[in-house]
Amino acid sequence: MWWWLLPPAAVAAGAAWWAAKRTDSTANARRRPVAHADRLTLLPEYQAALRRHRRWLAAALLACAALLASTAVAAARPVGVTTTRPEQHNRDIMLCLDTSGSMSSSDAAVVDVFAELAAEFDGERIGLTIFDSTAIQVFPLTDDYHYAREQLKLARDAFDGKPGSSGFLDGTWSGRGSSLIGDGLASCLNSFPRTAGQPQRSRSVVLATDNFLSGEPIMTLGEAAALARHRAVHVYALNPGDLDYGSGPDQPGAQLRAAAESTGGAYYALDNPEAVTGVVRGVEETEKTALSGAPRAVVSDEPGLPLAAALLSGLVLAVAGWRLRP
Amino acid sequence: MTSLLQRVKSDMAIFAHRKARGMLDGEYGSVFRGRSLDFDDLRAYIPGDEVRDIDWKASARHGSPLIRRYVAVRRQTVILVTDTGRNMAAAARGGETKKDIAVMALGVMGYLAHRHGDVVGLVAGDSGGTTALPAKGGEAHLERLLRRVDSAATLDAAPSRIEDQLEHVARTIKGRNLLFVVADEVAASPATSQLLRRLQAQHEILWLTVRDAGLVPGAPLLPPDQVPDSYSVSGSYPLLAHLARDPAVASAYATAVAARDAGRKAMLRQAGITEGEVAGSRDVVTALFALLERHRRAG
Repeated sequence: MWWWLLPPAAVAAGAAWWAAKRTDSTANARRRPVAHADRLTLLPEYQAALRRHRRWLAAALLACAALLASTAVAAARPVGVTTTRPEQHNRDIMLCLDTSGSMSSSDAAVVDVFAELAAEFDGERIGLTIFDSTAIQVFPLTDDYHYAREQLKLARDAFDGKPGSSGFLDGTWSGRGSSLIGDGLASCLNSFPRTAGQPQRSRSVVLATDNFLSGEPIMTLGEAAALARHRAVHVYALNPGDLDYGSGPDQPGAQLRAAAESTGGAYYALDNPEAVTGVVRGVEETEKTALSGAPRAVVSDEPGLPLAAALLSGLVLAVAGWRLRP
Repeated sequence: MTSLLQRVKSDMAIFAHRKARGMLDGEYGSVFRGRSLDFDDLRAYIPGDEVRDIDWKASARHGSPLIRRYVAVRRQTVILVTDTGRNMAAAARGGETKKDIAVMALGVMGYLAHRHGDVVGLVAGDSGGTTALPAKGGEAHLERLLRRVDSAATLDAAPSRIEDQLEHVARTIKGRNLLFVVADEVAASPATSQLLRRLQAQHEILWLTVRDAGLVPGAPLLPPDQVPDSYSVSGSYPLLAHLARDPAVASAYATAVAARDAGRKAMLRQAGITEGEVAGSRDVVTALFALLERHRRAG
């Protein structure tokens, strides 16, 4: 980049060399003349000391040259040009939480799992919707994870019954029944932005509910699942209760599983250790809409090598300077 | 420019106040002991004179000690032999220029000779050549000799080689003379030893060594932990003083100096030459006095 720094550096090095080589005619003025200096300089001990001195001088000189060269190279800002195809994570995940009375005992745990999920994702947009008889969007789809974590913490506090946090659940109950799961899921599906035609981003809903319905929903779970399938939304169900009696298809757990799997999603009991990894894997498998951007040349500074060399030369120079101190 | 001889005289005057007046002259006079039996005259005893030169009978008659003088003693020739190479422009152990010390020593010796009525000549030079000035009397001549030495020994002069001057003396000077050699720390060698023996056979030789500057810390008259920045007069290259600070180097140098001194002393002793040494011009008169004293006792 700043390659023109190299010739001036070479010139500076040459000038320094010239100045060092030039014999200073006035240097002897403050020295005393002595005779028979060879009686000292020809001593083997002096010769050995001189050889040591010369070796350190050579080391210092090399270190100086290396320092100059490496700092000049570093100052010239070497760049590496790489071609990247930036990959964009185009996934939207709506966390959908049933806050009905039957869930109250396990909502805190569900929020923990959501927080865990939010920590696993990277680049995706997540949103949170809570529902009982009506659905409330706590926060819309966002990639501001800090904000998402904050909101999840608020939710956690509310479910733990911390004083002053009861307002969190305001508006989820309208007296039209409770735990209207189909309506809740449909509301979650509506939280995705509407786009004409096929959505550009893969969409998933993580639905935490025990599927204990009490009241008359506008949409049943099956209808909502069909809507999800229609909109190509994968529904991952997390069931904190999983209290099915037997394996009949009309048991709430089995219904939930059927509904989730009908959308291409999966069903997990909340205490299943596979739950989080399973959901993450499932979401990440919806790679089809991961967009590859146009190939782009990325020019980045690569000062590491010259600066490391400069540091090393500086250290050598420091040691040599210490050894050469008069 | 003040007269070089004037400085010599004032130094000797200071010395004369410290020691008994005239003692130097007596010491000088007794350098030439009993070489001739041609009696010339008597003179008053001066402290420092050889006791055996006292004419006891005459002294008894006169009431104070009298010294016999012999013809040969009366008009001696003193040849000042010195090195005026660039080594003499270097520093001496005391920090002065060696040349200044040499001029002072030559001046004292020459002035003693002059007062004694002797004639003084000069053989000086370097490896490039030797100059000889014929022996004459008079202070003006002595001043000229000193000026010659003072002006010749510069940093631009040729390298020193005192053997050349000694060879010149051996080749050209006839008769028996007093040679007063002022040189720096000459290293002993078989050739030099032979040359000195050859000269000693013909002449009386007094040798004054001007000590060289110490090159390592802790050398005599140097501070124990550092050495002044120096450069060599042969080649003008600076000496790396901090290398000499290495204890191994310093001790090796001290050993080498001691060995060289011992070698030189042995060589001169073997040749029968009395040697004195001086480190600074303040010590010249004392050193010369000691040298003459030692020479008298050695005889």
